[in-house]
Amino acid sequence: MATVTQQRIRGRPAHPSGPTFLTYTPNGKQLVTAGSNNVVRVYETGSDGEPTNLDDCQENNTAIAATNDFFLTGSEDGTVCMYSLHTFTYEKMLTRCTLPIRDIALSPDGQWAAVASDELEVKIVNITDTYRVLYLRDLPKPVKHLSYDPSGTYIAASCTDGIIYIYSLSTEEPDLIRKVDGLIRSLETESVSSSRAAWHPDGRAFAAPTATRDIQVLSSGDGERQRAFSGGHIGDITALAWSPNGAMLLTASSDRNIVLWDTKTQKILARYEYPNVINIAWHPYENIVSLVTSDGELFIYTKFLQPEVVPLLEKTLQPAPFIRDPLAETSGNARKPLTNGVKDNADPRGRRRGTPDSLDEILGPALCDEGDDFVSDDDGAGYLDEVNGHGKRGNAHLDAIDIFDGKRRATYQAFQPTIHHSFQPGSTPWRGNRKYLCLNLTGFVWTVDQDTHHTVTVEFYDREFHRDFHFTDPYLYDKACLNENGTLFSCSPANGNPAMVFYRPHETWTTRADWRTQLPAGEDVTSISLSDSYVVVTTSADYVRVFTLYGTPFRVYRQKSSPTVTCASWRDYVLTMGNGPVGGDGSTKLLYTIENIKRDEICQSEDIVALTEGAKVKSVFFSDDGDPCIYDSTGVLLILQHWRSPGQARWVPVLDTKQLDRLASGKKEESYWPVAVAHEKFHCIILKGGDQYPYFPKPLLSEFDFKIPCQTFTPPEDAENPTALEGPKLEESFVRSSLMLSLLEDLVSSTNATHSQRTELSRREIGVDKALLQLLNVECREGEERGMKALEIVELMRDRSGKMVEAAGKVAGRYGRTVLQEKIAELAEKRLMGIEDEG
Amino acid sequence: MALLLPPGLTPSETAFLCEMEMVTVIPRQRLEGLNLLGGPTPPLNPPYRTPLPLWLALLLKRQRRANILPPPWLSPHSLTAILDLEKSSPSFSPLPTLPAHTTTSPPFLPSATADAPPDALPYHWLELGEMLLEAASDDIAEPDTVRRLMRDLREVRMAKMRAGVGVLEGGQEVNMNGVGGMEVAEGRAFILGVVDGLRKIGASKEMSRREREAEERENGIMGGEEDEEDDMDM
Repeated sequence: MATVTQQRIRGRPAHPSGPTFLTYTPNGKQLVTAGSNNVVRVYETGSDGEPTNLDDCQENNTAIAATNDFFLTGSEDGTVCMYSLHTFTYEKMLTRCTLPIRDIALSPDGQWAAVASDELEVKIVNITDTYRVLYLRDLPKPVKHLSYDPSGTYIAASCTDGIIYIYSLSTEEPDLIRKVDGLIRSLETESVSSSRAAWHPDGRAFAAPTATRDIQVLSSGDGERQRAFSGGHIGDITALAWSPNGAMLLTASSDRNIVLWDTKTQKILARYEYPNVINIAWHPYENIVSLVTSDGELFIYTKFLQPEVVPLLEKTLQPAPFIRDPLAETSGNARKPLTNGVKDNADPRGRRRGTPDSLDEILGPALCDEGDDFVSDDDGAGYLDEVNGHGKRGNAHLDAIDIFDGKRRATYQAFQPTIHHSFQPGSTPWRGNRKYLCLNLTGFVWTVDQDTHHTVTVEFYDREFHRDFHFTDPYLYDKACLNENGTLFSCSPANGNPAMVFYRPHETWTTRADWRTQLPAGEDVTSISLSDSYVVVTTSADYVRVFTLYGTPFRVYRQKSSPTVTCASWRDYVLTMGNGPVGGDGSTKLLYTIENIKRDEICQSEDIVALTEGAKVKSVFFSDDGDPCIYDSTGVLLILQHWRSPGQARWVPVLDTKQLDRLASGKKEESYWPVAVAHEKFHCIILKGGDQYPYFPKPLLSEFDFKIPCQTFTPPEDAENPTALEGPKLEESFVRSSLMLSLLEDLVSSTNATHSQRTELSRREIGVDKALLQLLNVECREGEERGMKALEIVELMRDRSGKMVEAAGKVAGRYGRTVLQEKIAELAEKRLMGIEDEG
Repeated sequence: MALLLPPGLTPSETAFLCEMEMVTVIPRQRLEGLNLLGGPTPPLNPPYRTPLPLWLALLLKRQRRANILPPPWLSPHSLTAILDLEKSSPSFSPLPTLPAHTTTSPPFLPSATADAPPDALPYHWLELGEMLLEAASDDIAEPDTVRRLMRDLREVRMAKMRAGVGVLEGGQEVNMNGVGGMEVAEGRAFILGVVDGLRKIGASKEMSRREREAEERENGIMGGEEDEEDDMDM
């Protein structure tokens, strides 16, 4: 980096001294400047001749914005005027405010103009129909800068109270979605310094000058601080602008310097010495930068960039400088998945995050094809940025990706199945520089990316039983498992080191009990799991590696279904999941295998994980009683019944979170992030709004009772009769208690059952019959004509002692159903004789 | 020495009773079940939610051995809704509809546990809310907003109580459904005073009315004999 002393280009006296503003039209043919006099000048790009002057405009202009056809000027007298670029004449007054205009932003499609004035609300005026106005309200102070994101869905308002307000414009009424506090300084609206939020052309982040004269990048999706461009200026920043492809950032400051930054490394590429620059604009595609100074001079720099930097400008759209780019990794897991470009359309944000290729790979050819329609956003260029260069076509940046996908599908006809990607249960992807490695009922493990290393923190819920610990991690662990006995970590191969597994027990009676083991070169860890007795690692080479708790390799075998997806373990049982054959919907079937490592028995071999079409497994874990559970992307929790006997297993839904009572009002929008199943309850984290994963601060665990989706209980119109609901509820309780009984029966029959388990078993047996008895009660009350069903209910009773059937007879007698009572007595007699035909 | 206490429960006694209410805690360390006089407590096992009486929960909270899950009605959203309801109707917001429970007395009603109904104030709302705000404000979302809303609610309801007293004069009744325990305890002295005062006024009025009536009756019955009597007395 050196101060560039290129030959001094003569400034053109455009306006008298005072605030001056400039903008390029999106097609780059014209440059429009406005200043404190009543003349607006339009310079043709590539021509050194005199500009076209529009006389008799408003004086003391404070903002300018342009499309290919017209431009808008805002002035201190509170008017926003529209001028044609074809005829160079005044067209109409767009809107009028009572106080001076401070900024104008045009939406990328050129249909709406957002106008900030010293009033406490921002108007967004439709260009063609100026009576259609949207308002950004809830602003405590006037707004100094406005900027549209490249897709035109969000608008960032830098307010004079030092907060950036981000509104979503996708709804009828603009919706305040985020407040960013503590980023920008609170500046007066007249101040020359800038607090503008300049959107990076890829639309995922914006940059804003901070009080420390740095430029901080913030991701717009989650409001996390990303990289910063620091140490470049010793004066207040007056203007900032991303290069049209986002590869560079240009900032001007009152310290008489203009600094060119490299987006990728946040290093200074060049420093230019020019005083009093108050606005900058990049030419939409050529190597030209224009500046205006507070003396009213305009500098048009052709060949602005030094030859060695020019290749950067020729690159296609570059990603914003994220600390952890969600596009660069696939939800925190290392495996590079196959893709056929079919994306989950449920959530646009999720879709983008899931994009496995890097942004420029995706956009590259598309941009070459489109040539002039290249996303040429000179967003952030001083006061005039929002006239950005999408033209009429590229209005939705996201669409560009889809269009391209369509194309690619058309070009490459080769079919590739959608596969289930590998994941680590209980972990979240990076957000900002943090992620949870493991979240369960024992505690949680999280890591912070410190650039050169990570710091890992393990916290427990039970503070007395375990001590929290914290360590510096040079190996960059990216997966972890936690249980009562210890913590297991694994890292991907990096810097020439092979993948590694690290186990750290919580308690030890020797001096050193933790161990590390390295996997063979080229093998990566896809998932790990930890049980009371074994450590299981599945790898990218489709091996399942089982270690004992103290690091002795115990078994290695290749998984039959591949690529591997995930694994879970409980005591001696290991469940592995992998991609099986391709199903009818073009995606692979998810297969699971459960085996007992100690006894070397396979319980279920390559059985299918029952998922509905298009659904994914979100998490897999064993319940505290040792039954495998999955939670899928449709919000259903399923438990595996009869899994100990081969071929008998089936997935039973125990809770459909979409049918929870708390969602019945339809007002709440929330999703559930599965944590565990324990004590016959589903433990999860409630995520509000569109969040996909829990984040900091540590979220609270919530628990829900199981509720098998049997039938919808529509509350009756006459709320007077609460007993009407009783029947369906009891029926559900019967199905649920039978399921719980069978799960426990399986457990007791296959292990050396403890006394408490056997008591629990008989308790559950009685529970089933009790539910039936209550059901019988309801049926009897309903009337004589329900007798058939009542008898059937009694037949369902499994009681051995005969007491329940006897009680059933009494119930029938109490309601005076004598026929039923007789039949029940008959049944009881048959049972006693043991001659009931067992069908 | 005779203890001069006003009739009924004092506010501190009400607060003491309120400590028998159940709340949900998230324990942060293990504790075996305790066999207490008031009944056994469930064993605590982090991070499973456990219902505990308020006094024990506060004790554990102060020792940093547990976190208290605030009841759903003690959230800014619910309180705002209840406050709107209070403002819009002249009567007090109704008590929560609780599931049928074995005990019918106020202690041990699940009105302040994590699965309590979010849209109604239970009997002990004021004292319970105050206690939680005092001891466990770090477990409550937006404690300052909650505190302000509680204050608003209290003032709105107190105003209603006072307005209700005004009606008493006409001999009408005041519907006190939905009034909390602490509010009753606080308002008791005032209301009793008013009622007593009214009774006294009413009694003297009544007395004079009766006397007048009796007089009139006498006069009516022996209208013509008055003079004679007088004469006779003479």
